[in-house]
Amino acid sequence: MVRKTQQVETRLVAEYLKERYGNFPHIAKQPLGLVSEELLKTEGYEKGLRMQRPNRPEVDAVVIHPKWLIIIEAKVWHIVDGAAKLPFYKSLVPFTPELKQYKNLPILMELVVPWTNPNLEIMCRDNGIRLQLYHPDWINEVVTRVTEYGTRDYRLAREEKLRNRELLGLD
Amino acid sequence: MVLQNYVILQDNKPTRLHFTDHAIERRVITDAKTLKPVPRQTLVLHVDRLDGRAVEASLSTMAKGLADQFEPYLADKSYRNYEVLITQRGDEFQRRWTVMFIPLAGR
Repeated sequence: MVRKTQQVETRLVAEYLKERYGNFPHIAKQPLGLVSEELLKTEGYEKGLRMQRPNRPEVDAVVIHPKWLIIIEAKVWHIVDGAAKLPFYKSLVPFTPELKQYKNLPILMELVVPWTNPNLEIMCRDNGIRLQLYHPDWINEVVTRVTEYGTRDYRLAREEKLRNRELLGLD
Repeated sequence: MVLQNYVILQDNKPTRLHFTDHAIERRVITDAKTLKPVPRQTLVLHVDRLDGRAVEASLSTMAKGLADQFEPYLADKSYRNYEVLITQRGDEFQRRWTVMFIPLAGR
């Protein structure tokens, strides 16, 4: 079943990391920013980290390249959001305890998208973000399915499928 | 050799693993809310090293969020070329995984 917004960015990032940076250590879904030592002391390590989770945004990926620390956001649907987030995420990297051993590496920002447009390219250039086009074949299929989601034909087919499931007692 | 059949990830504790093989298994589980049996696809990864110790164990997941991170490495089993550091955080639908792939030297 297709949802209005399908979670495809995890797969996109994983494939991109393997293809482009497979020879380097790479981390997916790295939380960024300070961890309050005081909270860890008062609440204990696990609860302290849990309580701070909402205040620690996650970057899609970090690559530990010999010359740079590369932070990566990948976007399929709202591509401008990815460009907007990266400079803020970059500012948190020096305060991230999990990445402190890489603090001497310069930070590169990379936005991975399946398609681009001239305005996005201007925004990325102006903010020092490297724009990387990555368009695996399966992206087209996902986009087609999501685009069809709101159409009458899709709605009718889905209703029929649900009716049949109910008739057959399937979940 | 440590006697351990299954790897259980603990919250906020990075677990270092090396995988040798995998399988996609169909399992029937009881849905926690409806209490009905439901079939689920499960990614089972075979582990031969856990936090530096030799083991013969497996890590299973039904979570798409974790399985998707392994997806590109499954077809050619190239996860064998990495040590993988997994940190699990959060509960139920809020559960997330930070996964670090560390290339093995001399692969």
